[in-house]
Amino acid sequence: MGQARLEWEEEAVCVIMCASVKYNIRGPALIPRMKTKHRIYYVTLFSIVLLGLIATGMFQFWPHSIESSSDWNVEKRSVRDVPVVRLPANSPSPERGDLSCRMHTCFDVYRCGFNPKNKIKVYIYSLKKYVDDAGVPVSNTISREYNELLTAISDSDYYTDDISRACLFVPSIDVLNQNTLRTEETAQALAQLSRWDRGTNHLLFNMLPGGPPDYNTALDVPRDRALLAGGGFSTWTYRQGYDVSIPVYSPLSAEVDLPEKGPGPRRYFLLSSQMAVHPEYREDLEALQARHGESVLVLDKCTNLSEGVLWVRKRCREHQVYDYPQVLQEGTFCVVLRGARLGQAVLSDVLRAGCVPVVIADSYILPFSEVLDWKRASVVVPEEKIPDVYGILQSIPQRQIEEMQRQARWFWEAYFQSIKAIAMATLQIINDRIYPYAALSYEEWNDPPTVKWSSVSNPLFLPLIPPQSQGFTAIVLTYDRVESLFRVITEVSKVPSLSKLLVVWNNQNKNPPEDSVWPKIRVPLKVVRTAENKLSNRFFPYDEIETEAVLAIDDDIIMLTSDELQFGYEVWREFPDRLVGYPGRLHLWDHEMNKWKYESEWTNEVSMVLTGAAFYHKYFNYLYTYKMPGDIKNWVDAHMNCEDIAMNFLVANVTGKAVIKVTPRKKFKCPECTAIDGLSLDQTHMVERSECINKFASVFGTMPLKVVEHRADPVLYKDDFPEKLKSFPNIGSL
Amino acid sequence: MQSWRRKSLWLALSASWLLVLLRVFPLLRLAVPARPWAGAPQGWPRWLDAELLQSFSQPGELPEDDPQLPQAPRGGSCDWGACFDVSKCRGGGLKVFVYPVAGPISDTHRRILASIESSRSRSVSPDEACILLLLSLEAPAGECIPVPQQWNGGRNHLVLSLHPAFCTQTFQLGQAMVAKASPMVDTFRPGFDVALPLLPEAHPLRGGAPGRLGQHSPHPGVPLLALAEERGGWRTAVPDSSACPWDGRCEQDRGPEQTHPGATLPNATFCLIPGHRPDALHFLQALQAGCIPVLLSPRWELPFSEVIDWTKAAIVADERLPFQVVAALQEMPPTRVLALRQQTQFLWDAYFSSVEKVIHTTLEIIQDRIFGASAHPSLLWNSPPGALLALPTFSTSPSDFPFYYLQRGSRPVGRFSALIWVGAPGQPPLKLIQAVAGSQHCAQILVLWSSEKPPPPRWPKTAVPLTVLEGQRKVSDRFFPHRAISTDAILSLDAQSSLTTSEVDFAFVVWQSFPERMVGFLTLSHFWDEARGGWGYTAERANEFSVVLTSAALYHRYYHILFTHYLPKALRALADEAPTCVDILMNFLVAAVTKLPPLKVPYGKQHLEARPPLAPEGLESQPPVQDCINRMAVEFGYMPLVSSRLRLDPVLFKDPVSVLRKKYRSLEKP
Repeated sequence: MGQARLEWEEEAVCVIMCASVKYNIRGPALIPRMKTKHRIYYVTLFSIVLLGLIATGMFQFWPHSIESSSDWNVEKRSVRDVPVVRLPANSPSPERGDLSCRMHTCFDVYRCGFNPKNKIKVYIYSLKKYVDDAGVPVSNTISREYNELLTAISDSDYYTDDISRACLFVPSIDVLNQNTLRTEETAQALAQLSRWDRGTNHLLFNMLPGGPPDYNTALDVPRDRALLAGGGFSTWTYRQGYDVSIPVYSPLSAEVDLPEKGPGPRRYFLLSSQMAVHPEYREDLEALQARHGESVLVLDKCTNLSEGVLWVRKRCREHQVYDYPQVLQEGTFCVVLRGARLGQAVLSDVLRAGCVPVVIADSYILPFSEVLDWKRASVVVPEEKIPDVYGILQSIPQRQIEEMQRQARWFWEAYFQSIKAIAMATLQIINDRIYPYAALSYEEWNDPPTVKWSSVSNPLFLPLIPPQSQGFTAIVLTYDRVESLFRVITEVSKVPSLSKLLVVWNNQNKNPPEDSVWPKIRVPLKVVRTAENKLSNRFFPYDEIETEAVLAIDDDIIMLTSDELQFGYEVWREFPDRLVGYPGRLHLWDHEMNKWKYESEWTNEVSMVLTGAAFYHKYFNYLYTYKMPGDIKNWVDAHMNCEDIAMNFLVANVTGKAVIKVTPRKKFKCPECTAIDGLSLDQTHMVERSECINKFASVFGTMPLKVVEHRADPVLYKDDFPEKLKSFPNIGSL
Repeated sequence: MQSWRRKSLWLALSASWLLVLLRVFPLLRLAVPARPWAGAPQGWPRWLDAELLQSFSQPGELPEDDPQLPQAPRGGSCDWGACFDVSKCRGGGLKVFVYPVAGPISDTHRRILASIESSRSRSVSPDEACILLLLSLEAPAGECIPVPQQWNGGRNHLVLSLHPAFCTQTFQLGQAMVAKASPMVDTFRPGFDVALPLLPEAHPLRGGAPGRLGQHSPHPGVPLLALAEERGGWRTAVPDSSACPWDGRCEQDRGPEQTHPGATLPNATFCLIPGHRPDALHFLQALQAGCIPVLLSPRWELPFSEVIDWTKAAIVADERLPFQVVAALQEMPPTRVLALRQQTQFLWDAYFSSVEKVIHTTLEIIQDRIFGASAHPSLLWNSPPGALLALPTFSTSPSDFPFYYLQRGSRPVGRFSALIWVGAPGQPPLKLIQAVAGSQHCAQILVLWSSEKPPPPRWPKTAVPLTVLEGQRKVSDRFFPHRAISTDAILSLDAQSSLTTSEVDFAFVVWQSFPERMVGFLTLSHFWDEARGGWGYTAERANEFSVVLTSAALYHRYYHILFTHYLPKALRALADEAPTCVDILMNFLVAAVTKLPPLKVPYGKQHLEARPPLAPEGLESQPPVQDCINRMAVEFGYMPLVSSRLRLDPVLFKDPVSVLRKKYRSLEKP
């Protein structure tokens, strides 16, 4: 909804803007042709009309914009003024949570319906104040954090105010902290929500569950089928794949400004900063400190702070006072021990400090564990192993520790640092369950941005040598050189592994020759006519291509022998994710001009192959046609050049691999193209090709081409061995 | 003059319009979303006193909490922290005790036991064991396994049953971990139990049924959907083949047309599998066929879900929205289809294709739990070659392995260590040392002295450090991960090898582009010998090859780890018996890991003439040598070697151009 609105808005803006631009351009050009009197008349009329339009527009929009800039909501200005709802003592209460709930049993997916954007719609109930029969409030109306959370949802793409179209309902009854509410009455309040329906599709957020003395690990408010986003689930209460485990928000995240500290060894190897630690565990930690001295720091509550000092922000060891959370940045590992509750806000502080959390809380479900890989950012130690913690941590190599520190900080930045981040991650997880085919991947959830940029995910990653029997499809792009085309067809048809020949007829003014004229070959031959004479037609993913291997070949390449082509196909089978071509080219950095240069001379290296004759996987046709970055595709079509360089860039960028040059071939020599080989033309040609490289490198934002020093030859190439025993004796020369 | 005035008038006018418009635009942008027309989103109100609201947790509150000791596990629930005692699991390897079976032991059972034995776990007495394994391999024939003596409430027990009809009623499983096929989601204890795949009766024991994926992308003629049918068959729905082009826009399929009741493997891009337990069998078939499983609200836990990221290989959809699912599948971009397809095949091959792999994966998962922080990272589980082949004892950092350079956008840096094995004759290979030390990429030379003769006290002066290691006079010793090896690349050499500096330089540059493969100079090729009904190999020069001799080969040092710690002892013993076998064994290993052939680089003719063939003598004379390839193929369960028909040469190799232009000119010396 939000998205659609934005688009509409931009359109409206454009209509006016474009119009104004048009007038500005046309105005002066029209004027001289009119007489002065008329001109003034027209100008005045025109300005009046325009001003009128603007004025109406402003009248329509102005007042509301004023409203929005302040608070346009007139009647509900303060939280204290929200309507009061009285709950009769005997009003119905939901049943306790159903532990066997799963998405496909307790969640009504029909409400989410078909959605082209694959986004769930979330409705928020309006805020009310609930009181019991005696007029005593059921809970605090709303906490700062819950207000932030609902605001974040309301501002997001998930929000809808149309209750009938909503897929997920979020009550405005604040249950973040169980201690601030009356369990039974809150449950009654939930039950009277207009779409409650046993809690189906309702989402409750709770960070501090349970209460004394036994501190349940999930919210005690009976909630029937409602989903619970809870901080502090244990394996006994967490409904895998239904509930969402969320962090306990640390208010310090917003209150304290803590500059980021890079990974690396820190003053204390192990640090414990929690105040409420069970005496037995504290003893264990103190023992660690006694044993390992300076490298372990166990902090406690300060007892003798002077008045006015915020004790939450201080920690003490004997008489030494430390600032919290700053002290966490001095620790490589920081203990996150269970208190009465499993979920601890200190986890958020620790992550923020880039300290690797050592989670000691048996059966605790870590926040967002459904999608986050906590092994990369934390160490989980069983409670009975506290005495061994030091040894366990020391076995972790330094490089891995630094990786974990980086990961910890990234988790905080992405999923912990604000209530909004927590709310969005929660909704995304639920969204991923409902639209699994559009779900975020492991990498999207877990890789820090730097890793995402540098990593390459090869689309053809499976090591697989396609069967030879599949063969390849040759695609010949032609304009009108029929004679040469026929020779190419005849030559290529001699290659044993050819399975189909596709002629792309790029000439709209002339019909391809009649069927009877075409050479008779042993494989199917198809002619595809194009709508426009574009170079990119050569790389179009035609339906006629049935094999994975594609041989792109120009209509004037007749010098390649059948052995050469067959060998090229065999090489492609061993490297199906690469461009396999004949003449190789190189890109070089020109230090004088400070830019890239195209090189076709006798070099010892290659980074590109010409696609005048090259084998590649047909998937790259799809990529070239639909996923080419920037305007490269149009640019190539406009300049009628460099489509091969563009393909080299594309493949190298997506696979991270170099091309394979096959056989000694350095040039495509053909009788027709002697003119192009001429010296003067060659010069301009080289300049143009260099331009292409620079242009593409700037569009890709990097230089993806990889330089290698090898080419592929048949095993016995130029070996002292009887020619007739070689599989590919007829490998041409340069 | 007038024109100037006119112009300025126009300029002023247009400027003022522009100004007005510019001022209005931001207001428009502000105004539109806030416009309270009927049905417009109102959003959550911005409270005036939002700043005054109290935080959900008051600072004083938490410290007052009364921390408690962990609660004892309730009822039958268990989790790793509460029900497993890690303290017994210290020390190398996974210490496993397998309960002996009562009555006659079946052949399958014996072989499984052997495979547990041969894996990295080792068996010990029940008192020392970290895991007590209760195997239930065959479908139970009426009777159940009695409660074993050391049961102890099931603590540290793993009850492994490959077939679903395992009788759990006879005794309380209690604290025992249960590894069973397709457990129901409701009873499955995540992080404690292990979900196994539902294997067909005739699943191969080792080696494995090969995946059926012949090509990366789906063939255009292949139907989009296959639907699992009740009696193990598949029904394919064939959409119009031409209506399903690459850009993913397909017409609605015309419903079921073909039925293949007999065909066990589906031939389609997606395989729709209902969520009931018996349908779990279809899941594995789909994986093997490279058909992307689309699971409709499965009631069972996906196999090895603890470590395998199934979102990369399958789609778990809601059965209540079949049309949405089909529409989403049709709309799915080719990139995703391609990735899912390949992942199914990789997973099949890495973890499911044999009973042995399934059991090893189970043990590996438990091992990972014990390792904690030094377990396999998710990347190692979910990308080729898979966690069974990427040992966390070597490293947990993907950059140390030869397999993940590309994913991380890097390539191997640094230089190589030359490891020269000096065998029985005990001649110090002085010429070879000089040639290798002359390479700019050489970091160190290690001489592995395995001769009876003592090594000479003095060695030639070289540009790089030279270390002499005392070998154990076993051939397999040359693939031991010696501590002295400080680089990722190893150039393995024999004292008899003859190489030039140029050859070494070029080979190393090639290896840097293919760090997961072996790069060698001399080759063998294997073939199926019809007459003898077995595998054979030849050192004759041929148009293809599948083995490079390790008497001169470059490869990643991780293969030393795999050779020593991953290969079964029996295989290493085999290599020690017949030294030629060691070459083949190493090639078997690398090919089994990479599924790719080795690489060959040019090797000067002069070496061949100067000395007897590099291949150890008696290639044809000793029958047991010929036989080792067959014995290895049996141990591996299949023939992993892959043939290649190409050689990588320098770009200007033997081109008719001035030698001065060529970087590796001495490679071409006659």
